[in-house]
Amino acid sequence: MAHHMKSKWPIFLRPVMVRSLYVLMILVWAFPVLWVILTSLKNRTEIFTLPPTIIFRPTIEHYIEALLAHDILKGIFNSLIVACGATLITLLIAVPAGYAFSRVRFPFRTRLSFFALLAQMAPPIGLIIPCFLFLSRFRMLDTYVGLIAVHMTLTVPFSIWLMITYFQDLPPSLEEAAIMDGVSLFNMFLKVALPNAWGGVGVTAIFAFIESWNEFLYAVVLTGSRTKTAPVAIFGFLAAEESRWGPFTATGVLIMAPVIMIALVAQGQIVKGMTMGATKG
Amino acid sequence: MGKLSRREFMSVSAKAGGLVLAGSMSPGFLKFARAEKKNEAYLKAKINWRQVEGEQIKVLVTPAHYFNKFRAVSPQFTDLTGIKVEFEIIPPREMREKAVLDLGAKTGNYVSHTGDPMFLSLYEANKWVEPLDEYINDPKLTDKVWFDLEDIIPLWRAADSVKGRLYGMPVEGEATIHIYRKDIYEKLGIKPPQTLEEFKESAKKAHKLDGKIAGAALRGFRGAGQNVYIWPSLFLAFGGKWFDDKGSPQVNSEAGVKSLEFYCDLLQNYGPPGVENMNWPEIMEGFAGGNIVQYIDANSTASIIENTNKSKVVGKIGYQRWPKGPSGRRVTSIWNWTMSINAALSRKKKVATWLYIQWLASRPTQFSSAVFKENQDAVVRTGVNRISIWSDPEYRKVIHYTPDYADVVLTSMRQDTDADWRPRVPQWPKIGEAMAVAIQSALVKQATPKKALDEANENIAKFMVR
Repeated sequence: MAHHMKSKWPIFLRPVMVRSLYVLMILVWAFPVLWVILTSLKNRTEIFTLPPTIIFRPTIEHYIEALLAHDILKGIFNSLIVACGATLITLLIAVPAGYAFSRVRFPFRTRLSFFALLAQMAPPIGLIIPCFLFLSRFRMLDTYVGLIAVHMTLTVPFSIWLMITYFQDLPPSLEEAAIMDGVSLFNMFLKVALPNAWGGVGVTAIFAFIESWNEFLYAVVLTGSRTKTAPVAIFGFLAAEESRWGPFTATGVLIMAPVIMIALVAQGQIVKGMTMGATKG
Repeated sequence: MGKLSRREFMSVSAKAGGLVLAGSMSPGFLKFARAEKKNEAYLKAKINWRQVEGEQIKVLVTPAHYFNKFRAVSPQFTDLTGIKVEFEIIPPREMREKAVLDLGAKTGNYVSHTGDPMFLSLYEANKWVEPLDEYINDPKLTDKVWFDLEDIIPLWRAADSVKGRLYGMPVEGEATIHIYRKDIYEKLGIKPPQTLEEFKESAKKAHKLDGKIAGAALRGFRGAGQNVYIWPSLFLAFGGKWFDDKGSPQVNSEAGVKSLEFYCDLLQNYGPPGVENMNWPEIMEGFAGGNIVQYIDANSTASIIENTNKSKVVGKIGYQRWPKGPSGRRVTSIWNWTMSINAALSRKKKVATWLYIQWLASRPTQFSSAVFKENQDAVVRTGVNRISIWSDPEYRKVIHYTPDYADVVLTSMRQDTDADWRPRVPQWPKIGEAMAVAIQSALVKQATPKKALDEANENIAKFMVR
């Protein structure tokens, strides 16, 4: 590929080409986000002006309205509880499981690690009916525990796999030294492997959090007025008589904000997490 | 018969406003006295409203200003009956999925939901909901004179009946009407069109008047509740029937093809750009922004296009019934939000649900919720379910967009359609989807109207066999 480019473009033009490609790609990804942010700051008439305006006098009225709609703050609070709960329990399961799958020999190891992905192989819409019936039977519809449990069917499998790659990446020499000293398996995990894999745990936590935070399909069916999460609550602004894009997009920004902040803070780690499998080939 | 007196109106609407404050703070006896007075309109009914006191019911509701108003006045129901009502608000599509899941699994989580009459055949076929006549005819549960079922718009009741029995109670609804720019008509010397042909002519004349404005718009977006909400009116006005006497589908009949050709011709030549992606909100906003000369859609859109904060065309709007089709008929939509009783409930919960439905559909509640203002900018309900309220001068005063608006809507609701405007069969969801695809593929010229409808007809025939 690189050779091909070299022959076609003069050397001094290449950085320019590459940069403009970067900018273009970022624009493609950022456009919807920017659009939502811009819309959330426009007044009602401006939102519907065609062609759309880029320069306008910003207003925060939609944010005030969004925060005053009691569903939204409560929704964000519910989302926090569910996403934090799901993330925490996911880590408690996935981190030791990841270590076990990568380092410990036990019967059916490969097959089990494969089956961990089973729940992800069916589209969620297919699993929603059994989930609904199950939660209904155990009176767990519209409870935090119910939704956290269901979200874990999404977060646990890929978290296990993420942790497997992290632990496999650790140099075996670390543990070999510990074995010489007669350290038990559990202590090896806790005192040798884990301290060297905190970065991986962090990335896994972020992915699990985002997955649960943004999840809509299960949340809309399995929650109710008590535990409705933010992605569900936001639809209150798309009413039958009128779609209120102002408060809708303002809430959208409020929902995106924590995710974007986490992403910015942990940028380097996330990129490492995403390319991990790739470098291993 | 049936009119609310001025005093009744004043007291009901005032109470709706003061309700929240009135409750908790007053001492016991005062509270009781107030409750008595507040419930006056309801205590005229000769039933025991408190017969299942202490019950709790949960209702699935979709976001809409009219349901917000219902929710806002519902504490009065709790006050009257001792039954607690909880609402769960989720988007319409998800609400329907959730309702069907709950009904189908007989889990009985939701006693009722704001339903689509088109689904009642499916519910009835599976015995998921209760026939309401049993509740209406039980003197312990319903005071028939007080409730006055006959006052509820007859066509809506017909649309909510399956095999002659009422399965859902209409609590809110709408008709499609012709909404146009009076000023542009006057400027061009156009008379309000009386036939669909004249309607198209007027669109042609006014199209791109200023180089931009679109001559006319109808829903183009694909969906059983979108383009299949408008086309059936054209289909029937052209003389079409969904099924022949033997039950074979007839959507590709001459009337079907002609009506779809009319729809495509109108929108392709005089519609706004991107009309195939437009549902009613986009059309309404386009009209409010002065980019569309006229449209035929729900009368409820008036509350937005007549709001000076939201519309540039206030005071320039005319309303009339659908223009007549070649068959001589005017055919409006027949839409109402209907509430049923989940059949998987305990007897007590069923009774509680019926009391709530009866209360909600009753004249005093329909009135108080119609004029309830949840905030300063709040609009009035333009979909009340009772003829007596539509004819009531007090109500007419608050929906006085033009002198004839209320008459246009009421006449459309009473005369301009029939219950089988769309086929009320359990297979409707699939039929609706097949028609949506056919109509849109003709609109975007993927297929000729004839070809699109032939295919749809074939598919519908298959659905009906199964």
